[in-house]
Amino acid sequence: MYALRALSDQTYQAGREAKEAGRPVVWCMADVGFYGPILNALDIESVYPENYGPVCAAAVAAEVFLNRCEAEGFPNNMCGYMRNCIGYTARMMDLGGEIPPEAPRGGMPKPTLLLSAGVTCDSRFKAFQALGRYLDAPMWVLEYPSLGTAESLMEGAYEREIVFLIKEVRELIAFLEGQVTKKMDWDKLEETIEGTKEMQEVLHQINELRKARPCPMHARDWFSSMNASLYRAKDPGAVTELYRKMYDEVKYRVDNKISGINREEKYRVAMSGIPPWHTMEFFDQLADKGWNFVNEGYHAGRPRDVNLSGISDPVERFVRRRYPDIRQYIEQDYRPDEANRIIGEIRQRGSSRRLSHSNIRDYQIDGVFLHSVLTCRPATASLYQVQSEVMEMWKVPCLVIEGDIVDTRLFNLADALRKAEAFEETMDYYRKVRKEEGLEW
Amino acid sequence: MAVGAHQGLNRVREIYQDRPQRARRLNTEGNKVVGYLCIYSTVEIMTALDLVPYRIFGDMRETITKADAHMPTTVCPFLRSCLDLGLKGKYDFLDGIIVAHACDVTHRIPSLWGTLVRTPFSHFMDVPHTVHEGALEKQKGLLKHLHKSLESLAGKELSPSRLKEAIEAHNRQRALVRELYDLRKPDPPLISGTETLQVVVALMSLPVEEGSELLREVISEVKERKDGPTKKAARLLTWGSIIDDTAIIEMIESLDANVVMDDNCVGSRAYFADVKLTDDPLDGLAYRYLAELKCPRTFREDALGRAGKDYIASLENRYSYLGGYARDWRVGGALLQSVRYCDTHGYEVPSVKDYLASTGLPSIYLEHDYSEGALAPLRTRVQGFLEVIG
Repeated sequence: MYALRALSDQTYQAGREAKEAGRPVVWCMADVGFYGPILNALDIESVYPENYGPVCAAAVAAEVFLNRCEAEGFPNNMCGYMRNCIGYTARMMDLGGEIPPEAPRGGMPKPTLLLSAGVTCDSRFKAFQALGRYLDAPMWVLEYPSLGTAESLMEGAYEREIVFLIKEVRELIAFLEGQVTKKMDWDKLEETIEGTKEMQEVLHQINELRKARPCPMHARDWFSSMNASLYRAKDPGAVTELYRKMYDEVKYRVDNKISGINREEKYRVAMSGIPPWHTMEFFDQLADKGWNFVNEGYHAGRPRDVNLSGISDPVERFVRRRYPDIRQYIEQDYRPDEANRIIGEIRQRGSSRRLSHSNIRDYQIDGVFLHSVLTCRPATASLYQVQSEVMEMWKVPCLVIEGDIVDTRLFNLADALRKAEAFEETMDYYRKVRKEEGLEW
Repeated sequence: MAVGAHQGLNRVREIYQDRPQRARRLNTEGNKVVGYLCIYSTVEIMTALDLVPYRIFGDMRETITKADAHMPTTVCPFLRSCLDLGLKGKYDFLDGIIVAHACDVTHRIPSLWGTLVRTPFSHFMDVPHTVHEGALEKQKGLLKHLHKSLESLAGKELSPSRLKEAIEAHNRQRALVRELYDLRKPDPPLISGTETLQVVVALMSLPVEEGSELLREVISEVKERKDGPTKKAARLLTWGSIIDDTAIIEMIESLDANVVMDDNCVGSRAYFADVKLTDDPLDGLAYRYLAELKCPRTFREDALGRAGKDYIASLENRYSYLGGYARDWRVGGALLQSVRYCDTHGYEVPSVKDYLASTGLPSIYLEHDYSEGALAPLRTRVQGFLEVIG
């Protein structure tokens, strides 16, 4: 895990070195795995402000940047990561483009380009657009479909999105080639995609091991090691090797019934949303009480084999591997009669309960911690819906605690721990309820 | 003035105060009413299928209660209010809802609305965030799926000629609204900001031809009346997230200011761009609804990959129409506002202020929580702003 964290640190160092050497450096938003392989194939360094937000939060160094962002006239209820980024940028430009001395982990170098994404949240492109106030870096927005589940099953919907994404990716590549005056290395792209798939497979297997009782790996370790899978793996092979070592370690713990919290596992808890990066001791203190956080919302799921026979265009091959066909997944994972029922449910209701929250059963969760992030709408808007559904489906209670991902002013650790203590009784009670209802845990 | 004067404006006020009245009657008469949440929902397709488009609004004057159980208070209070009204049965006359991908929270509304309010039909349009060529093609594809979906609700097929007629009908209404807005150019304006908002809200509550007929009457009355707004020291433009209640405008106009222009979605954003009549009507619709609507939920750049390269050029590309509004409506100041937790507008604020400052137009930014009670402290700030620009 520490080696994985070191790899993450190295990306900031590599970015700074590239800047000093006059090579392009990109500030990149997390997307769903498009940017990473393309940047690898064009050999462009990148840093992720979305990762830098947690870095600053964990170092308790974000306040100065958050305050600066507010002073610039941005509302203080916007994404903590992006307020940190905007404030950092304003501060950096005060210094003529030099890294602020107070920036943790050596800081992010001034970018040559901004690669934004239209996936998951509006902040991803709105914040980078706002950076135009301070930077003269060209910006690109890579769109990604966000269809409703029912709408994605309409005839022709999937292929329409594939055509759209192919066009988007081609334009992106042409833009990047123009910016760095270098041609795409298609072989390296293919190599990175394959390497990333292998990496994700090992990570998926590690996550599968966490179904064991006691869970061998706590969320803190997961959060520390997930960086390459969420952002960019510059060397997927190296990351895969480290993940394999991690797999061996986790497997050993499973075989020897060693708990991820190194003590009796009293409660198996899932974490939904984004954690309070500035106060991760919240998890440590709960671990001391026997709370084992066994599942989070950061899992891409099992990497799928995609039938690419007859497709030679590298962009199309790339896009089809990155944009899932939900119907195909349902048909792969369920018997034909079940798959039809699920698809029917989706067409009628817009969603299928069978597809949602299966992690609760699979990981035998006693309670779910819902972090109501005060500055993140996507992470928070549906939390109460999750709470109702998880209770209705699995008789598992949820604990909602308000806080933030970066802003320490918005999270009260003592209060959160008090609520958690009281929640233990609730989890104990619903264990009995599940037993009475014939549920297996 | 003749007996029966102001009939149009009176009718507007009546509709404004009891919006669902006409839609409910149409519903009981067997017409299907389709609610929609934002201006990215394509009303022409609904009209062409003889469905009645009905814009879903919240209610600033109603305390959010039921929605609190389902949505945290740290998301858009407007959308929470809409859901709250849905839960309270205020939208029980809707046969369906169309939701376009306006923002992160809107994206989640179909799931919540479907589970909790249980309107029988819903369709979500994943409108792209960019205006790339591929995005326009996707937008056209989305419209094809929208009309397929609505055909199943309407129980009939969409005919191209009906669609063309519907486009023309909505374009005619847009032209009428622009004519109404022209009546705000004189000093004093012939129609107040409060009245204008009431008219637009009324239009969004009626079938298009009924709305246009009412609007013609209103325009004629406004031109002739002698008891319009009085001259005030300041002429203001409002910008920002949804204003669907006159409370904010009334608050401003109770001070020494007339609100003579807006850049809001219950206002000019919905009516200042027509659908071009193209051979395939979906081309014109796709272009208008993605490229022409001036909402910051769409990422605009003057050329592919040029965004960020030149801040001033970017500001011009994104906001020059505001400069045009300020010039043509002789605006002396801009009131930028957004509901709390509106990321779409929140990120824009410094850039809009930069642009307006570059044109010499003073501005103030107000954030509110979409409740009537929150307006009192804002009044003091507006007053202070008026003193500064006076």
